[in-house]
Amino acid sequence: MLRHSENQVLLRKVVRDFVEQEIAPMAHKIDEEDTCPVELFQKTAQLGFNGVFVPAEYGGAGLGYTEMAIVLEEIGRHSAGLAVGLVAHYMGVYAIMTWGSDEQKQKYLPLLCSGSFGGLSITEPGGGSDFAGQKTIGQPVGGEWILNGRKCFITNSHCMGVNVLTARTGEDDKGRPQISAFIIEGDTPGHKPGRKEKKAGLRGSYTGEIILDNVRLPQENLLGKPGDGAKIGLGTLGEMGRGGTAAAALGIVRGCLEESVKYAKERIIYGKPLAKLTNIQFLIAQNRTDYEAARLLTYNAAGMKDAGKPCASELSIAKYFVVETAVKAAKRTMDLMGGYGVISDYPVNRYLRDAVAAIPACGTSHIMQVIIAGGELRK
Amino acid sequence: MKIAVCIKPVPDPNHYNKITVNPETKLLERKGIPMVINPVDKNAIEAALQLKEQAGGKVVLVSMAPPDAREKLTEGLAMGADEAFLLSDRAFAGSDTLATARVLAAGLKKIGGFDLILAGAESADSGTSHIPSQLGELMGLPHLNHLIELNLEAASLKMKTKIEYGYAEYEGNLPMVLGVAKEINKPRYTTLMGVVAARNKPFTIWGLDELELDPASTGLAGSPTQPGELHLPRHGRKAELLEGEPGDIAGKIVAILRAAGVLV
Amino acid sequence: MPERLGAVWVIAELTGNRLTEVSLELLGKARALAAQGGGSHTSAVLMGNDTGSLAEELIVHGADRVFLIEDPRLALYQNDLHAFVLADLIKKHHPEIVLFAASYCGSELSATVAARLGTGLAAHCTDLRIDDRGELVQVVPAFGGTVLGDIFCRETRPRMASVKPGIFPKPEREATRTGEVIKETAAVLEGYKSPLKAVRIVRRQPPELPLEKAPAVVAGGWGVGAEGWHFLEKLAGELGGAVGCTRPALDEGWAQSEDALIGTSGKTVRPRIYLGFGISGSAHHIVGMKDSGVVININQDPDAPVFRISDYGAVADAKEFLPVLLEKIREHKEE
Repeated sequence: MLRHSENQVLLRKVVRDFVEQEIAPMAHKIDEEDTCPVELFQKTAQLGFNGVFVPAEYGGAGLGYTEMAIVLEEIGRHSAGLAVGLVAHYMGVYAIMTWGSDEQKQKYLPLLCSGSFGGLSITEPGGGSDFAGQKTIGQPVGGEWILNGRKCFITNSHCMGVNVLTARTGEDDKGRPQISAFIIEGDTPGHKPGRKEKKAGLRGSYTGEIILDNVRLPQENLLGKPGDGAKIGLGTLGEMGRGGTAAAALGIVRGCLEESVKYAKERIIYGKPLAKLTNIQFLIAQNRTDYEAARLLTYNAAGMKDAGKPCASELSIAKYFVVETAVKAAKRTMDLMGGYGVISDYPVNRYLRDAVAAIPACGTSHIMQVIIAGGELRK
Repeated sequence: MKIAVCIKPVPDPNHYNKITVNPETKLLERKGIPMVINPVDKNAIEAALQLKEQAGGKVVLVSMAPPDAREKLTEGLAMGADEAFLLSDRAFAGSDTLATARVLAAGLKKIGGFDLILAGAESADSGTSHIPSQLGELMGLPHLNHLIELNLEAASLKMKTKIEYGYAEYEGNLPMVLGVAKEINKPRYTTLMGVVAARNKPFTIWGLDELELDPASTGLAGSPTQPGELHLPRHGRKAELLEGEPGDIAGKIVAILRAAGVLV
Repeated sequence: MPERLGAVWVIAELTGNRLTEVSLELLGKARALAAQGGGSHTSAVLMGNDTGSLAEELIVHGADRVFLIEDPRLALYQNDLHAFVLADLIKKHHPEIVLFAASYCGSELSATVAARLGTGLAAHCTDLRIDDRGELVQVVPAFGGTVLGDIFCRETRPRMASVKPGIFPKPEREATRTGEVIKETAAVLEGYKSPLKAVRIVRRQPPELPLEKAPAVVAGGWGVGAEGWHFLEKLAGELGGAVGCTRPALDEGWAQSEDALIGTSGKTVRPRIYLGFGISGSAHHIVGMKDSGVVININQDPDAPVFRISDYGAVADAKEFLPVLLEKIREHKEE
């Protein structure tokens, strides 16, 4: 039986208090205007959300991945767009926390915990999953690194404080591309946002290009060793990004469940509430069951990560299942609501757009299936 | 500065429409309604935390409640209070406001050394607003209720209390007992660091014996008022639905307004 | 306890140099309780400075006796000073029942005096009566008015209760009524040095037509929205009434001030006609308007609880319906 501790229950309550008062009222507006409320990120920093799993010595709350998932589910319940912005931030934080030197951790983690946006920049116009094919170049020149290239579909691109970015830095002994990871502060000369994408869903966070134009970095900005880029980039996506995206999408599933119940009770048809109709009850039962399954997968994977157990498959399973379930639950809830599901007075059509937009985040459902199958076939 | 904040767990006011009276047993039915810290008590905690930030010291929570109120006090500790005392005993059940004030006064006196005692002006469930005044009387301290502004300068306080269509200004000296209204501030959000710290803060539970209270002075036995039957308000309206196009409905309403004599 | 039955008292409340309406409303109820055997007669207590001329006002509204205490120290309300004087007076005269206004000051004073005397106090009573055993039944709201409970005070005297403005009707003025004015002193304050100091009282100009006196109340809730709010004001103007609101509408800032709030933490109104728009009907609100004359509600949700406490209801979007109604009223006035 999956059970949260008393502290996790209290944590959920305090996060929910904040989300219901500060985020829920703006969720519709930030979706409609397609903007990122960057000032909100300062508030969440003060409350400890931005560094939930960062040790207290670096300015974090000193908690774990289960607590991170709770924060993301609660925010995702009202604004999956904001939640996904936080997931991207967490990826940058996670990469530095896991592979950074003591100096790097001491320099960047307190910044990232106190309001600076983090992010992870891997994807390029040539594709996200072709990791080795990336064309951004890092050249060693006179003891420094000079970076040139272009990253795309980067969340937090236009508000980036500390960017963790991968670039090709040469070839290994076997002639394969050597990819390394760097830490770049957002205001470094030559590091700038490019095009800002207009997204169908998950609005409320910026997604766009990062352009690197002769960005000069000292040696100490190399994260890990030369050639650690794959380990860091793919490890962060796999161990942090997917679990985080699953938790944010779990919020969407809960939103569908809650909205469907509310609507079915309030809407009167043929003189009685919609909820009295058996076919409507089937839809609510399916939403409830979906939420239960999605919740168990999300928190089980987060719990495994907290326990230090290998969980790459479980995180991919959670991401795949929860996001696809969110799409189905949102579509189902729109069916339940008829015409009201389509109009923007009700949030459910936003849930559907958010759920669909979550599919490519940190690897599409097909990529998740490839990873899951790979895990089985290697056994 | 040592500040006490008296808080009360109450059923969540957002769910009061679901509360009813069982027609047969005449008992209250409030199943499934979550308990929360009485909303305006959070303003009292906030006021205490602000004073602590200004003058240093310690914020102590005190509540008379059943044992399961522990979680609500922990919430107050997570918000930033330093220590909590839960005054809990079967003998306290059925206390009216005066008997409740006796238990709180006994607890506050036993802890001792308070410069200021704060409470919410009224509870959401019974809403009497008696406690701050009655506690002040039993503690032998000056008191005010419905505070909307509080300024501490050295040991003296400048205060504003709410009155109909305005406010009254007062001056006083510590120690005092003050009931705060929700206008006084906006309670802060609890931080995750606060949640982590809460369970390591001192927490004490005292019953009748520890408080050295006479059982005849508390609970139902010690209450000058006794509750009788509960009932539901009777409205007895005919609830006639006006139907038709908006224009038709408006016409019917005009006729009703004329009959009522507010439209000639 | 004294052998003879004591009186029913009303603690008169002042706003500036006038009596508050609720003081007079309480006199009507006090007389009814005395008539039901709750007390020997009705007395009012008037504490202040230079307020003697108001004693007559209390008599013509039902007081048989007025205890008048005039003292410069009582010029501004201050709980400890007023409580000292009142508790002393109660100990001297042994009233059976003491009624207070459940205003901010009245609530505080009643709680303070009850603690000093160790007696029972029921807050915000919505009904008071003497039952067939001669006990005072005090009906109080709980959970925002969802539930009512009877409160008794069987052992201690006096039995004390507070009542919000607008709960009981104001008795007719009987110009020929006579009564006795008994002067008392605040001698109990000699030598007492208060730890508190009331500095001043600041009051906004109350609206020309206070909500609780308006013959028609046009109330708005969540369903009216910021954009529909001005229609309410226009409608109230047409009807010679005032605008009231629910808690959500106040919190949104649509209503101009807290003076418009109807319900648990606001006003109790009983207008001849109450017109509610976009109000779901939470217990907090209903408790403040349930005794209105005719109740009409317009709400989009056919299942809104508010329809159950309405004489007439219509299912419509409040902000769309309001202009239609205003137009109809204009047509009517032109005819």
